[in-house]
Amino acid sequence: MVEYNKVTDEVVKKLVAICGEKYVTDSEPLRYSYMARGIMGLEAVLPEVVIRPANTEEIRKILMVANDNLSPVTPAAGGLSGGFALPAIEPGGILMDLTRMNKMEVDTENRVMIVEPGVRCGDAWRIFKKKWPEWAPPIPDGAPPGATILGDAIERGFSLVTGRYGPQADMIMGLEIVLPSGELFRTGSWALDGAKAFYRWGVGPNPDGLFLGSQGSMGIITKAAVKIVPHPHFKTIVAYGGDSWEHIIEPAWEIGKYEMGISDNTVMVQGGNWPLVMTRWPKSNVPLDYKFYEKIGIDEYWMNSEVWAHSQEELDFTLKRIDEIYKDYEVKKKTVCKQQQLHPKQIASRLKKPNLIAVPYGLYEAGFLFITWYCPWLESSKMMEEYCAAMENYGFPPTMWVASIDHARQAIVMPILCFDSSEPGIYDKIREFNIETTKSFLKQGWINYRPDPFVHAPLTFSKSKEYYRMLVKFRKVLDPNLILHPGRLAIPWASVTDSPSPLEGE
Amino acid sequence: MTSLEELRKINARCIHCRACQYAYSNEPDREGADEEYTGMMLSCPGGNFYGWEGYFNSGRMWMARAFLEGDLKPSQEMLEVVEACTTCGLCAEQCTNYIDTVDIIEELRAAIIESGVEPLKRHKMIGDRVLEEDKRNPYNDPRSDRTAWHDGSVDDKNMKVAYYVGCTGAYRQQDVAKHTASILKKLGVDFTVLTEEVCCGSPILRTGQKDIFKIVMKENLEMFENYDLLVFSCAGCYRTFKVDYPRQSGKPLPFKVAHTLDIVYDLITEGKLKIEKPYNKKVTWHDPCHTIRHIGLAIEKAILEKSDNWLLDSRKAAKAKEAWYERPREVIRAIPGMDFREMYRIKGNSFCCGAGGGVKTQFPEVANDTARERVKEAAATGAEVLLTSCPFCITNFTDAVNALKKEEEETGKDLSAVGSKLEIVELLQLLDELLD
Repeated sequence: MVEYNKVTDEVVKKLVAICGEKYVTDSEPLRYSYMARGIMGLEAVLPEVVIRPANTEEIRKILMVANDNLSPVTPAAGGLSGGFALPAIEPGGILMDLTRMNKMEVDTENRVMIVEPGVRCGDAWRIFKKKWPEWAPPIPDGAPPGATILGDAIERGFSLVTGRYGPQADMIMGLEIVLPSGELFRTGSWALDGAKAFYRWGVGPNPDGLFLGSQGSMGIITKAAVKIVPHPHFKTIVAYGGDSWEHIIEPAWEIGKYEMGISDNTVMVQGGNWPLVMTRWPKSNVPLDYKFYEKIGIDEYWMNSEVWAHSQEELDFTLKRIDEIYKDYEVKKKTVCKQQQLHPKQIASRLKKPNLIAVPYGLYEAGFLFITWYCPWLESSKMMEEYCAAMENYGFPPTMWVASIDHARQAIVMPILCFDSSEPGIYDKIREFNIETTKSFLKQGWINYRPDPFVHAPLTFSKSKEYYRMLVKFRKVLDPNLILHPGRLAIPWASVTDSPSPLEGE
Repeated sequence: MTSLEELRKINARCIHCRACQYAYSNEPDREGADEEYTGMMLSCPGGNFYGWEGYFNSGRMWMARAFLEGDLKPSQEMLEVVEACTTCGLCAEQCTNYIDTVDIIEELRAAIIESGVEPLKRHKMIGDRVLEEDKRNPYNDPRSDRTAWHDGSVDDKNMKVAYYVGCTGAYRQQDVAKHTASILKKLGVDFTVLTEEVCCGSPILRTGQKDIFKIVMKENLEMFENYDLLVFSCAGCYRTFKVDYPRQSGKPLPFKVAHTLDIVYDLITEGKLKIEKPYNKKVTWHDPCHTIRHIGLAIEKAILEKSDNWLLDSRKAAKAKEAWYERPREVIRAIPGMDFREMYRIKGNSFCCGAGGGVKTQFPEVANDTARERVKEAAATGAEVLLTSCPFCITNFTDAVNALKKEEEETGKDLSAVGSKLEIVELLQLLDELLD
């Protein structure tokens, strides 16, 4: 395992010299205040020092100090990746709280915004609403207002228009990156002095992909140029039900496969099942038999389409075509996909961005974890069936959410594990569940999106060894002392644990 | 008595989403006048001031968790961080996991102190004064002067109604006590005040000094137990009697409680009281956390505690809470001639004045900074008068406006846009002036 040094008083002094006393703390209570276990990840180690740099130059200097001392560094801003926004290795090292770096520039002519790591979705939405109401920042859908645009983008996350435009990483037009050596560079056309971030593939081969999804393990992204999208004001949600996952997945594909026209208007397509609603309330204070949903006419499975249009006529046309496609599907498959009668408040709630829809699962039993997988859209029904069965087998409610990416090309499948975080042994149980499902899903060629470094990452890399070796090589070129935290992918494995490597046996 | 341990599972609901840092965290499309006052706004007094995660509720919930798990040891340093919070409850209002954030913060403070850490210096001082036999108030004033402001009935055991004046009314804002007494008289409410009254314990409980709180709570409950109704003018005392005494004693109150504004509200809405005199000014209203948000949240909680279907009853509970938030507005709208203008952050999303939770006493810079932000928001409405009904809000806003005036004098700048010309007015005082 890689040996790191502790953050000494001497190192703290150097950090204070860079950022000022006000922005460096080794206070134990304050360090604990950054902790999180749940939401997206369970692995979290207490940082030794927290620092709040103001700009890229300070980050460069911090990284150089960390490199000299061999201290691990973890960058975070919104911190909504749960445990994974925190150090995952011992000793905890330096946690960079990047919330002070919250500048944002918007260029509506070139339809791009440049954000620093601390620009929060709630703030961006507020500012766009007043200054650029015809444009929308690509904020994540369902994430709380404290989530950051850059955090979502570099995680290749999910945005309010992912159904139309693809993962958030596809919205990137350029990155500004600081390497652990202190070297600073930009990607895409932005690499050219004075040039705008207008062409992602810029002046040469583009290394963006090495940094997107690395959670800062390859370098710290200090700015990102991200596409903004038109914000037409004729919007609604339409939902159709079904008696199985298959019968909500397939008709959505029938719409998505057109790609242009109505498919482009359906910016967000997402579905779920009864437990997805029920587990947003305390287990002891909600009916668990689902009769209530039947009574109010909600099908066991449903798929929402969020439709944006530039006029009422365009909106009506899109809704009409969607309805026709569902009706054709019903005939073809001899099934019923009933249009769900949504209350205006339900529609308003789903249209709200950013919203808190993803938050209340903690209410069910005081703890939850999102686990996320990608698979081809039409295979997602099989994945969800297997997942729900495994969840029930392990005693978790089968709470499941699915959404389309890029016109139903891929599915993001997200089981939500609702559990009692104070129950002894619960984290072992979750790990066991994760190992079992991961082994099965990897065999079927499906990919975990937010890997747990001790479960998904080694199991995935044991089946993609050449790619893992290549990533390790890149990592060692960019960060020879491996001071940046290993991220979810645990590259290289030795930076995380002494346990056998995914390449064991070679 | 409650304890942090009893709140362990509620604390564990926190997923560190940080929505609690914002006002209107679930209303991103809320319309406002400009870019500053639109959508959601970072609105945690402590967090906004210090910036570190530990000063926001989201960080405090995880400090509480680490404390409960034995990972974080109690210390003076920890208490300093945990006490720098006005316990305004904005975070509780935002939390879709219904975490009782104020209770957890107060119980965490108490648990730290119970583990042997000394209360912070100024907090300890007010605790000591409340215990001193010849004082029994945090202001260091003689107990014998407690009812000196009053020339009416005192210690009358035959009365059905007692006015619990509170220490601020008795010693610092006697005019509010006098106006309240005058209103009650005009409304035909016969009441008495008690010379033996002791501090309600609000600042003591808020700062984690539960042993002292238990003493004063017991004394007050026994002292007033034979009255039918206790009326209040102080937001803090009212909240403490109404919410904290039943919870901390584990028993229902032996008497009814009502803020004087509740009595006015009831009479107005029942059509029994009409304000005839006009008040021809531009006015905005600040919701005191203790009488508005805290009580609203308590109403919501009480409904949900009895419910076996939160899916349905959460809406009913939210409606009941909203109805509570509307009450002072009904009173204000009953005043003729007034040009009433709402601030951007109101009701459950109201931004704190900055004085509560022991902050004004121990962290005056946080209190001042917060009050300045709020008076700026009030000034942005174009109001001449900032109306509220809480002695601590009144004091803190007055201090902020005075500081702005002083700055104007020193720099020659016109600071009226950020509130230097605002007149801070207690609603009880205004009502007394308008009622015949």
